[in-house]
Amino acid sequence: MVRLQPDPFLNELTNMFERTTEKGSVWVTLKHSSDKSKVQRNKMKTAGEKIEYRCLIRATDGKKTISTMVGAKDHQRFQSSYATILKARMTALKKRERKDKRKAADSDKKADSKKRSSAAKKASN
Amino acid sequence: MVYIASWDDFVEKSVQLFRADPEKTRYVMKYRHCDGKLVLKVTDDKECIKFKTDQAQDAKKMEKLNNVFFTLMARGPEADISEVGGKEQAEAQPAKKGRGRKQ
Repeated sequence: MVRLQPDPFLNELTNMFERTTEKGSVWVTLKHSSDKSKVQRNKMKTAGEKIEYRCLIRATDGKKTISTMVGAKDHQRFQSSYATILKARMTALKKRERKDKRKAADSDKKADSKKRSSAAKKASN
Repeated sequence: MVYIASWDDFVEKSVQLFRADPEKTRYVMKYRHCDGKLVLKVTDDKECIKFKTDQAQDAKKMEKLNNVFFTLMARGPEADISEVGGKEQAEAQPAKKGRGRKQ
């Protein structure tokens, strides 16, 4: 388990996605955690100290595990970068299935011609 | 272990599960590129609910659930999630993409 800062974690996560395109899976786990052992937590509780919880993120490809923590201050920045990575990497999922197969083929052609026509539009603009 | 068919049910139950026991509940995403499969799991080691998909549109829904769980876990189970994953945030994020209005 390697504890990283949020940004290096995201870089390493990207690498994991790249390494597993041919075979393998990536797991990402989110957990509400104080990053302290139960014994420590109990000690703090009896001492009346406030336990600070943050979000623990772990990622693994089955061989290597990395982790990071984000708190209330920085989770929004992290989650938007994370979403960007997922969007860029999860490309093997199916697009919405069309009911009519012929339509699907047509729309493929359309998509092609759209590209051309939009390029033409730009040129004319 | 139960696969839940309805996305909305899955979201509702997973948030319930987390709020019932925030210290023990984890949210796991598994993505398998070669098979194009995505599995989401929420468990507190007593109860376990899962959602399985191969559809790209579900990945978009997952993005919202991710935001919900980031907020709940980083800010605590009492955090307000009514705004999270709503349009405000979804639109605020890809601002740099310049998805401007087509005229």
